[in-house]
Amino acid sequence: MKRLMLPWHLLLLLLALPAFARPAPHAGAGDRFAPAFSLPGRTGTVSLDSLRGRVVYVDFWASWCEPCRRSFPWLNTLRERYADRGLTIVAINLDKDRRAADAFLEKFPASFLVAYDPAGKTAEAYRVSAMPSSFLIGPTGTLLSSHAGFDPRKTGAIEALIQEACPR
Amino acid sequence: MTRPLRRFLHAALLLILAGLASGCAATAVRPWDRDLLAQKKMRLTPSPMVSAVDDHIYFSKEGSTGGMDVVGGGCGCN
Amino acid sequence: MQLTPANRTSSLRGRLGAAACLLLTAGLPSMAQGESGATTQFDATALLYGERNRANVAEPTARIARRFADGQSLSAQFGFDVITGASPSGASPSGVAQTTTSASGTVTTIPAGQIPLNSFKDSRYAADLEWQKPFLRSFLSTIGGHVSREKDYQSLGANGKLSVDLLQRRTTLTVGGGVNRDRVFPVGGIPVGLSDGSTPAGSSALSKDVSTVMLGLSQVVTRRWLVGLNATRTFERGYLSEPYKVLSVLDGTTGLPSGQWMEKRPSTRERWSVLASSVYHLTDDVLSLSYRYYRDDWRVRSHTCDARYRRELGGDRYLEPHLRYYSQSAASFFRTGLLDGAPLPEFATADYRLGGLKSVTVGATYGFRISDRPGEWTVRAEYIGQFGNGHPGATVGIQRQFDLFPTVSIGSLLVGYSVEF
Repeated sequence: MKRLMLPWHLLLLLLALPAFARPAPHAGAGDRFAPAFSLPGRTGTVSLDSLRGRVVYVDFWASWCEPCRRSFPWLNTLRERYADRGLTIVAINLDKDRRAADAFLEKFPASFLVAYDPAGKTAEAYRVSAMPSSFLIGPTGTLLSSHAGFDPRKTGAIEALIQEACPR
Repeated sequence: MTRPLRRFLHAALLLILAGLASGCAATAVRPWDRDLLAQKKMRLTPSPMVSAVDDHIYFSKEGSTGGMDVVGGGCGCN
Repeated sequence: MQLTPANRTSSLRGRLGAAACLLLTAGLPSMAQGESGATTQFDATALLYGERNRANVAEPTARIARRFADGQSLSAQFGFDVITGASPSGASPSGVAQTTTSASGTVTTIPAGQIPLNSFKDSRYAADLEWQKPFLRSFLSTIGGHVSREKDYQSLGANGKLSVDLLQRRTTLTVGGGVNRDRVFPVGGIPVGLSDGSTPAGSSALSKDVSTVMLGLSQVVTRRWLVGLNATRTFERGYLSEPYKVLSVLDGTTGLPSGQWMEKRPSTRERWSVLASSVYHLTDDVLSLSYRYYRDDWRVRSHTCDARYRRELGGDRYLEPHLRYYSQSAASFFRTGLLDGAPLPEFATADYRLGGLKSVTVGATYGFRISDRPGEWTVRAEYIGQFGNGHPGATVGIQRQFDLFPTVSIGSLLVGYSVEF
């Protein structure tokens, strides 16, 4: 029985290995420029080009994404602290139905820009590999860092990167 | 190895290969396409408490046990 | 002073109650804040179950779970059930009224031609604790403990599970295991198997060890479709017989019962089950299907097919009809009685739950919310019918006249409540 089980054990171990790999198809700091986007927002269009000169923190979210409920209060805090130091937050919504996104925003209000990408084209361009995902973009449009998922314990590290990027 | 186990492992292998294959295809389910799967009703065991009550009933009235607990699916967040 | 079962139960309950309070108070300060990111979930169910002319059960359960900001969760579940009524003893009907004396001394008279029953009244307490912890982004570990106690049975168990997500969490592999240590202490002691029960019981209590291993796989096939597959192997060792079940000793020609002998089952049992399940989301509704194949080394084989269709009715209400079909083949040592004068088999049982049988469940769940009030309610009504061959081939004489497997009709009502805050 043990002898017969060995190849299966190895197979399962082999399949578990990808779990340790970094989510590969994900726009990392190696890319030169963050993909451009021009999406409808709550009051007019939100485009990355129009934000050239600002440090932009892009967050991909959806109403059904449970960690997003915890990330929104933190994003509000970020806006409070760094908006007049040159930071603009753009939360790109990926709900297929705008009503679900609006219901979420009623429960978890956002003081920052919200843009809608129901077709997921911008998410594809940024090669989003988890929900939520966030990207820090410098004033010249370069991709400074990317983060998959939201972990309240890691917000300190992201804030440090923002402080570094934002002029005093 | 018993027959049920062999059959299961073959089915599991096929399922894993199908999963890997679908991952390469353009039609793979993207992280932002998990809206429907994120709902509680789309879990393989939507109500663990009710399942436990049922397991208890059927365990008392029948000769079989087991096999009712599968983990997975959901919103795939983080 | 020796602890009586009642005292043992209450001290056990006291300890479990303390554990639950600790669980809740650990989270209370942050519950007040609301910004810690921790959430609490409360679930409760109440089951009312009745078999026609047989047993009745009332079973409330409650569960409280706390989920912390880092993804860890802790839960405690408590259950209580009361069962009263009767179940077949395994003895054969006869042409005349029979009297049986139950283990606790109650004398019952069974009318001629009817299956003799054992009557009972028992209550059971159960508690479960579970701790889950995600780590390294893709892994989730679960550890749990279980304890349950009734008048003549106690069960203690521990279980663990490890899940790993692959391929952007489209695939999940799970491996799990559990051990259980049960103790049986029937009223009147453990009877000697395949004897008339007159010799004094060898011991007053015996144990049963159960170990389980599970392997599971789930796969997101499309945006609407999730499938799962899992295999479980269970190994039991110890006292596996039913201390109150008997077989009739039948006359080889007339089939008239002349006495009752205690049943005897093997002391080990190896069980396998494989379950395939699927959940599919249509426009609004959800279809869930599953099939389970089971077999064990007692030669019991079974097939279970389950189907549910959740129809959304709008306004957070739904109706979910449910159909389950189950068919089982008899254990190798299942028989309708022992023939007087024939050599004794090594093992024998007349417990119909180890014989050939089919079960059909038909029911529906109605789910709703009460407007402006938090939480979801569900009400479920189900009918279970158990059928078997009342006139099997291996019957003797007068046995052929009786229906050895009258249809078992069961009705159940389950009310559930679930809230998150």
